[in-house]
Amino acid sequence: MAHENSPGGVGNLVTLDGDSIRKATSAMDLAQRIEGRLAYATDQRDLSGLLYGAILRSACAHALITRVDISKALEMPGVHAVIKANDVPGLNCFGIVIRDQPVFCDERVRYEGDAIAAVAADTPEQARAALDAIEVDYQPLPVVSDAALAEQQTALHNSHEKHGGSNLLARETLECGDLDDAFSRCAVIVEHHYQTPRQMHAFMETEGGVAIPDGKGGVLFRVSCQSGHRDAEQLADILGVAHEQVTVESTVTGGAFGGKDELTVQPAAGLLALKTGRPVMIHLDRFESCRTGMKRHPVSVKMTTGCDAEGRLLAHKAEAILDTGAYASLGPAVLENYLDHATAPLYRIEAYRVSGRLVYTNNGVCGAFRGFGGNQATFAVESQLDELAHGLGIEPAALRRINLRSPGDAGSRNQTVRWTAPPAGVLAAAVASPLWSRPDTDTGRWLTGTGMAMGAQGNGLGDGLPDSGGGRISLSPAGRICVEFGFSDYGQNIVESIIRSVCNGVGCREADVEVLLGSSRGPDSGPTSASRSTVLVHGVLASILPRWMDVVRGHASRVSGHLEEGLAFGPGGVFFNGRQVLSYRELAESASPDEMAASASRDFPVAPDSGQPVGRYLQLQIATVARVAVDRLTGRVRVTDLHHVTAAGRVIYPPGYLGQIEGAAVMGQGMALTEDMTTRDGSYLADNLDQYLIPTFHDAPLQRVDVLDDTPEDDPFPVRGVGELGIEAVAPAITAAIEAATGVRVRRLPVDPGDLLVAMAAKEQTL
Amino acid sequence: MEPVNNEVTERQAVRVMRPESPRQAVSFAKRFRAPYIAGGTWLQPSCERDRQWPVHLVALNPDWPGFRGIQETEDGLSIGALTTLDELARHPLTALYLPPLSGLINRVAGPGVRHLGTVGGNLLAGGDLSALALALGTEVDVVEGKGSNRRPLARWFQDRPASDLLRSVTVPDCRGWGVSVEKLGYRERFSPTRATVACVHAGLQVQLAVCGEGGPGRLMVTEAMLRDEGIRELTDLAIVVDSELETLGWHDTRLRLAVRRMLESGLMEVTRGA
Repeated sequence: MAHENSPGGVGNLVTLDGDSIRKATSAMDLAQRIEGRLAYATDQRDLSGLLYGAILRSACAHALITRVDISKALEMPGVHAVIKANDVPGLNCFGIVIRDQPVFCDERVRYEGDAIAAVAADTPEQARAALDAIEVDYQPLPVVSDAALAEQQTALHNSHEKHGGSNLLARETLECGDLDDAFSRCAVIVEHHYQTPRQMHAFMETEGGVAIPDGKGGVLFRVSCQSGHRDAEQLADILGVAHEQVTVESTVTGGAFGGKDELTVQPAAGLLALKTGRPVMIHLDRFESCRTGMKRHPVSVKMTTGCDAEGRLLAHKAEAILDTGAYASLGPAVLENYLDHATAPLYRIEAYRVSGRLVYTNNGVCGAFRGFGGNQATFAVESQLDELAHGLGIEPAALRRINLRSPGDAGSRNQTVRWTAPPAGVLAAAVASPLWSRPDTDTGRWLTGTGMAMGAQGNGLGDGLPDSGGGRISLSPAGRICVEFGFSDYGQNIVESIIRSVCNGVGCREADVEVLLGSSRGPDSGPTSASRSTVLVHGVLASILPRWMDVVRGHASRVSGHLEEGLAFGPGGVFFNGRQVLSYRELAESASPDEMAASASRDFPVAPDSGQPVGRYLQLQIATVARVAVDRLTGRVRVTDLHHVTAAGRVIYPPGYLGQIEGAAVMGQGMALTEDMTTRDGSYLADNLDQYLIPTFHDAPLQRVDVLDDTPEDDPFPVRGVGELGIEAVAPAITAAIEAATGVRVRRLPVDPGDLLVAMAAKEQTL
Repeated sequence: MEPVNNEVTERQAVRVMRPESPRQAVSFAKRFRAPYIAGGTWLQPSCERDRQWPVHLVALNPDWPGFRGIQETEDGLSIGALTTLDELARHPLTALYLPPLSGLINRVAGPGVRHLGTVGGNLLAGGDLSALALALGTEVDVVEGKGSNRRPLARWFQDRPASDLLRSVTVPDCRGWGVSVEKLGYRERFSPTRATVACVHAGLQVQLAVCGEGGPGRLMVTEAMLRDEGIRELTDLAIVVDSELETLGWHDTRLRLAVRRMLESGLMEVTRGA
């Protein structure tokens, strides 16, 4: 790591540079992952009796089903089973928050990815052919495609009576202070509409897995997923079996980003496995993944923000509509996090009222996605601050400096918050970015500009939701320190973080540590989401490592005859006076595994306030400085540089930290510039990655990641999760840079080069 | 009717025929209403998308005379239709005749596609090469049922029987010409062309062409205006270009604005110093 003097003398600023990464990188699966050699669940095709499953999807975005005839499919070559709704022995529905999504639709389809039936056959081709032989008659219904009008249209869920049987799934308002009075005292008020796109996760590995029956009515699932324990509960209910009869092993996963938080192929695979008594594998191809997979909630918001003549934020109002698509999934939680971020957590605002409406439509299904609604809100909030600064005639950074919270201030929802550095320090470091000193060009073909935005990101599920997780440590028979968590590793390299933490705590070698993740038979760590895993891993290890070491040391004392006080852990074993007296293997052989094990579970840290917790206690910050070049001829935008200043606690594993920030930033760039799964009458207009365009290496900018860490030595939560932080401020930083280059402020994402060009041309006319 | 004894591959429902000669390929294509396949980089994703493969495919052989490779002829530069995009980009004659071409090809798809994709396939799909080929006044050598035929690419685009087999294209000797070509995609690489614009200053006249979302076409009206009146006020040029683009099928006004600006920039580049 390259150390720098922090601007303004605030904190310890460190740049994660290439050398530090090269020195630290030892991820065992990294090369395999990059080269496409990592074995996913659906690569394990040597299972005895393996069958291949396929799912029939709805041909309509919204229709009644009047007939499903599977008789011809049953007669097709190689077919072992064809199932539909009446073959579901348990609950024919699932959903993390509300179980409103049918495993198989029997009366009505609500989006083009809805499942109607499934087939198990000897080969994927035979399964696919059998799907084509299933006859379905539909009676089309009016399509609900405009989220703004959804509440006036026919309800998609008759049973959803919470809001009068309309398409309003949830509404929520957060407020503080006297908003009308605050607005009446504003010197400058800006009001704008913002729109963000329906982004697709576009993970490398599409949804897939295998269900293996145990012959006793139970099923083992090997799948790419994000929460084995939660999935096991839902699957048991669907299969109509006891919970202990379902085991979920979350295998090595090729990316998830929230898109595998909900059940995907598991219900159909499990039902087919029980029906046939044979393992059944289902793996969606990219077309099916695009059509059925979760997406990011598109948000349309009207935001009104005002400040006094000195730039102090007085009043802030937001009215948002989130399109959750056909089913709830995690939509209500996304709405909550959107609103939390819409309160502008980094800034002091005298009064606000932010409200949101989450509506059902026939536009696919939206759910969890890195940022979880927060980055959509931050795009609007940060844009509003820039508009206010322009209205006041001051620098955007100056306006932020006036309003940033200080350590010790309450959070935007009046909750206690724990930062890892002063927000003003993050801003100061961003203002000192060398990108600002690059000369801009306003002549010639390429117009360049630099812009900045800030963002806050909380760790954990928040708002008092049940949020706990556990882990276990033991000595395996082979003499390895075995650490178990229920989390999934889908590329974020949590394994490396765990290994580093154990090595640091115990003093052993990396080779001494074995990490087991993702089994629903192991400790329940909760979902691998909400940037919570790293915090919980560190917290649980901090709790169990000392206890486990005491137990092992005591045992080693008895076996070796040395005093406990003189024994120390080290590479390969236990030492006395600098000499190894027992290897870990010898220790393991001297006792049963359970004798040298420790486990713990802990609640995710929440504010130590009385009453029901609100918002998030552990807060991270980021300031992203973007530099862009805009083509005067075409309106095309190139992001040439991104410089992130992060404050997210201590860095345990630099390559993982850097990968999360940079990867999330490129994902945010995609959301800002090219990615949108647009729909027409409920049908997606793109069906693969040659039409839905994510950034490539040629689009990825040069990036620099700085870490500002003022976490006190005795901070009980010095390590934070950074899985979502990098995406938080990218989009508004890019649009700010575009405005610096062209004078045009873009409020609808992704930036449309045609619209931008027309606006640029109009500006030119006025010059 | 000629017996079909050259079938060498049968992959499920798809029968791939390997004709012995270009004439036989044309015959197979007509008889079985079968598409030709060379690199397959366009056909494969199209079929996967529709989940529907042709019953028959006629595989083309790059060893047939004239079908692959680049050579100088007395008419200019002859490029075999089965020459891959990668080969074209790397060939020394490309650098000699058409320096901007390598840069353009590097923005076509990705390395894997360029390694397989062919010049003929790209032209027939109205791909990135179309605009430059049209602006250069390229001629095509086509194998038909009755023999071979050579004609301007622009005319062939207008009236092309599906069974016509493209053997090669001939680019006139353009050494010393001003050539500019510019692609607008959705992203930096591996993007379908939204608009590719080519400007050629061929000694005495300027030749312009476009391809992309509005389809390939030579801008003959604009060329005539430039020939008759020279580059006058750019606003006049913009009106003519805009009208001609719309006539050709470019209905997105915002994209037409981009094409106009790209054309203006290209014109400035190729006429600089002329």
